[in-house]
Amino acid sequence: MKRKLHPLTMWGFFTALAVGVIASDNSQTALAAIAISAFIVLARKESGPWGSSFRWSIIAALYLLIIRLITGIVIGVPRPGTEVFTLPRIHLPSWLPGIRIGGPVTLERLESALSEGLIIATVIIIFGTANSVTSPKKLLRTLPTFIHQLGTTLVIATSVFPQLITSIQRIKRAQYLRSGRKPSTLSVGIPLLEESLTRAVSLAESMESRGFGISKRTSRYRPIAFEALDLSVIGTGFGIALVMVLL
Amino acid sequence: MITFSRVSLIYPHSTTTVIEDLSFQIEEGEMVLVMGHTGAGKSSLLRLVNGLVPHHTGGILAGEITVAGNSTRTLRPGELAGVVGIVGQNPIDSFVADTVEEEIAFGMESLNYSPDVMRKRVEEVLDQVGLTQLRDRTIATLSGGEQQRVAIASALVMHPKVLLLDEPTSALDPIAAEEIFALLHRLVHDLSVTVLLAEHRLERVIGYVDRILLIEEDGRTAIGSPSEMLMQTELVPPIVRLSRALSLPEVGMSTREVRRQTEELRSSLPDYEPEQKPRGSIALSLVEKSVNYGEKVALNKVSLDLHYGHVAALMGRNGAGKSTLIKSFLEIAPGCGYVPQEPNDLLYHSSVEEECEQADRDNQLPQGSTLSLLTKTLPTIAPKTHPRDLSEGERLALVLSIVLVANPKILILDEPTRGLDYQAKSLLASQLRDLASAGTAILMATHDVELVADVADRTIFIADGDIVADGATIDVLLASPAFAPQVAKVMSPRRWLTVDHVMQAASQE
Repeated sequence: MKRKLHPLTMWGFFTALAVGVIASDNSQTALAAIAISAFIVLARKESGPWGSSFRWSIIAALYLLIIRLITGIVIGVPRPGTEVFTLPRIHLPSWLPGIRIGGPVTLERLESALSEGLIIATVIIIFGTANSVTSPKKLLRTLPTFIHQLGTTLVIATSVFPQLITSIQRIKRAQYLRSGRKPSTLSVGIPLLEESLTRAVSLAESMESRGFGISKRTSRYRPIAFEALDLSVIGTGFGIALVMVLL
Repeated sequence: MITFSRVSLIYPHSTTTVIEDLSFQIEEGEMVLVMGHTGAGKSSLLRLVNGLVPHHTGGILAGEITVAGNSTRTLRPGELAGVVGIVGQNPIDSFVADTVEEEIAFGMESLNYSPDVMRKRVEEVLDQVGLTQLRDRTIATLSGGEQQRVAIASALVMHPKVLLLDEPTSALDPIAAEEIFALLHRLVHDLSVTVLLAEHRLERVIGYVDRILLIEEDGRTAIGSPSEMLMQTELVPPIVRLSRALSLPEVGMSTREVRRQTEELRSSLPDYEPEQKPRGSIALSLVEKSVNYGEKVALNKVSLDLHYGHVAALMGRNGAGKSTLIKSFLEIAPGCGYVPQEPNDLLYHSSVEEECEQADRDNQLPQGSTLSLLTKTLPTIAPKTHPRDLSEGERLALVLSIVLVANPKILILDEPTRGLDYQAKSLLASQLRDLASAGTAILMATHDVELVADVADRTIFIADGDIVADGATIDVLLASPAFAPQVAKVMSPRRWLTVDHVMQAASQE
C-alpha cells in the first residue's frame, strides 16, 4: 500500500507555492512552479474524475493568457521602448481619460502583459494540480467532527455533478436523433430532472438503509494522521516560496 | 427469518393495492427469488422487508412483517441496518464515497463502530467478495460487475442476516452475472445469509434458488419450489419451455438435469440446420474507426458493415466498447432510428397521446399515425397515461413507435431488454423480426444471450476495442461456452440455439 499523505498536505504545499509565485511576481519563478506542478501530477495523479483537473486547468490557463495578451495589446497604458507595430488608435471622448485603445505596441508592453498573464495562469494551474492529486472529497472528510455531518452531505451532493454532465450529453444526443432538430431546454430538462430525482431517491434509500443519521456520534474509518512527512512536504512548499521571493 | 402475515400495501394517491393479503415465511439460509411481471410490485416487496416501504416512500401498510424477530412497523430502515442489507439495481447511484474501502466502511461509520472493528470487518468482507486487489481503487473506474460486488460488500459488512437484491445483474454481461450469483450462492451456503432477490432473466438465476415467490398479474401470490411455481406461470426461462415442449416427465432447473433427461433425444433427433438469412446490401459501414478516451483505447481501427434486412447483435463485457461503437454509427448515420438505453431520455410530455402527437409533428405525418402504430403492438395501452407510469415494456413499445413512425431504414438499439419480462421481450423480438424482413438494417447492443439467440442473424463480439468475433449467430454463440444460450447448453453438441430450433428438428421426423 502506498503511504497516503494527509489530504491537507498537498493543498498546503500548493498554497505555499501559489503565494511564492504571486509574491515574487516573476515569470521565471512562475514557469518553475508550473514545472513543479507538472512533475507532481505525473507522480501522484489520482484515478478519479477529478484527476483530470490538471489538464482542464492548463486549458483554462491558456485561454486566460491569450485573453490577457490581446487586451494587453489593444487596451493599455503606453510604455516607452522598442516599438514592434502600431495599431490604429481609437479616440475616446474626453470624459474617459487615461484609457487608450490602439496605438503603438512596444516590446516592453508585450512583455509586461505576458508576464502578468503568466502569473495568473500559474496560480490557476497550481490549484488545478492540487485538485488532481487530492480528491476534494477527501479534503471535506477532514472537517472537524462537529461539522462532519455537513461535510458528508456536501461530499455526496458534489458527487452527482460529473454524472449530470454525461446525462445531459446522452439525452441531447438521443433527442437530436429523434427529431433531427436541436432539442429544447425543456425537452432535455424534464428527463434530466426525472433522472436526477430517481438518483437522489436511490441515494437517500441507500444511506437510510445503511444507518446514516441513526447514531448521534459517528466514527472514522482509517483516519489519516498528520505526520512528520506531511509537515516536511508543507515545509518544502514554504521553503520554495521563500527562495522564489528572495531571488 | 422473514415473516409476512396478511400484508397489504397501498401507496398514497393511488387507488389500487400493490400487495394484497400476502402471507409467507422464509427460513434462515434460504435463497428466494421474487418473480412477476414488470410493475407487479417486486421492488416494493423487497423494500418492505427492510422498512424502506413505507418509512421512506409513504403508503399504508396493513398486517405484520417481522425480520429476525424485529417488526418493521416500529423500526426505521437504518435501525435494521445490522439485520437487513439491500443492494439496488444501479449500484453507482447508491454509492456515497470515492474509494472501495471508504464505501464499504460508510455504514459502520454512521453507526459509530470502533475503528478496530471496522478495520477487521472490512478486511473480512474484502476477502469474501474478492475485492482485495481493488481496495484502493476509485469506484468510478470499476466495471459494472465489480461495482455490484462493492455494493454487496457494503451490505455484508454490517453482518446482516438477510440480504435483499433488486435485479442485481440487469446491467451486467453474462459472465459478470454468473460471478455475482456464484458469490451469493456461497454466502447462502457458508454464512447462512438469507437472500431474497428479484430478477427477470430467470435463465441466469434459476439454478441457484431454493424457492420462488410468484406475484401474479391479478395480485395473487404463491410461494413454492421452483419446479412447482414454474408450472403455474407463463414467465419461464427457455430451459423450462424446452422441457414443456418436449413433454419431459420433470421440469428440470439446471442444464445437467435436463441433459440427463434428453440423452436419448439428443442422439435420435434428425439433423436440422437452422437456416441463415443471406446478408442484404450494405446499409452503413464504418472504416478503420479509432476512438480514444484519454489514454484508454475504446475502439481500435474497427471496420464494420451493417446490412439491410439483417439483425446484428453487438455483445461484449461492460466497457468493451459497445456504446462507443454505437455512438460512432450514429455519427455517420444521422437519419437512423435510435432507441437509447434509457427510453426515458426521449420522453418529455405528460401523456402517451401527447408524445405520439409530437412524433407526428416531428415527422410531418397525419395526426394519429404514431398512436395507431403503438396500439398495433400494444392494444391495451391507455393514451392518457403519463409515460412515467408505464411499465418498462410499455415504455419501450412507446419509444419504439416514436422512432419507427419515421420509417427509418436503419434501427439502432442500445440494451433494449433491461427490466423486461419474458412477455415484453418476446413482443420486442417479434417486432424486430418483422422489421428485418421488411428490409430494415438493425443493430442492437445487448447482454441478453437468449434474445440474441432468438432474433439476431449475426453476432459481433467486441473486447477491449477490437472485434474478436463476427459471424452467424449460431457459430459465434456456440463457440463460446459463457455466452451459449440455455438450450444450446442442453442440446450440445447438436447445433440448436432455441426451443424453436429443437422443435423444428423434432417435426422433421
